[in-house]
Amino acid sequence: MSNVRELSEPSTITRVVVSILYPFMLMLGFYIIINGHYTPGGGFQGGATLASVFIARYVVFPVEDIRDETVHGWERLFLALIVLGPILLLFTGFVNDHPEYQIAYLTLMDILIGLQVGLGLSVVVFRFAFFRGVGKSWR
Amino acid sequence: MRYIVLALVSLLLFVVVTAVTVRHDERLDPVLYEYVTANFRDDTSARNAVAAVLLNYRMYDTLLEALILLTAIIGMLQFLPGYHGEKGSEDSGERDGGGNE
Repeated sequence: MSNVRELSEPSTITRVVVSILYPFMLMLGFYIIINGHYTPGGGFQGGATLASVFIARYVVFPVEDIRDETVHGWERLFLALIVLGPILLLFTGFVNDHPEYQIAYLTLMDILIGLQVGLGLSVVVFRFAFFRGVGKSWR
Repeated sequence: MRYIVLALVSLLLFVVVTAVTVRHDERLDPVLYEYVTANFRDDTSARNAVAAVLLNYRMYDTLLEALILLTAIIGMLQFLPGYHGEKGSEDSGERDGGGNE
């Protein structure tokens, strides 16, 4: 096990480059999410981009210090908000009756969907990356 | 023998369904398409017809899409046991007790 750990040390170049890339990944993800109703894109695509932040972090820093149950709990919270938002705002006809709130509603739903998808894909990646059920992990 | 029969039944079902689908010829007027592309800016004030459809006209679709992701994650958490932290030397004894702590 220790040999595996030593062999999988990331190089300095990867570490530095990914550290530089973090804010740009976050910026691109939130740009895609927030501009979802202006340009092609939206919650799902931006969420996948946000999940790439966690993937890059795993690539350079493969330590399991994020509990995926916690991330999963946040993801379920955002899913509950995604279900609650349209029920309270859209299906009651509130948004369609007040056109001045429509942009805010679209942005809110895009942000919620983006965070939910990003956290969900992060859970998937973490669980597959740190899977140690049978035998050794692939690293 | 049972598997062969099952495979033949599945193949027959596939062929029948495909044939029915291919032979079915019904032209619908693009009513919905024309309505959405003409009115989505006034109805939803989105500049992007896809966002308008996803977040206003077909919100149920988006809800169930998010639910599908949750279902996939729950199944994956069920079948891939996790192992938390490097503490201790036991390899397989640690089962997560569910819930978020």
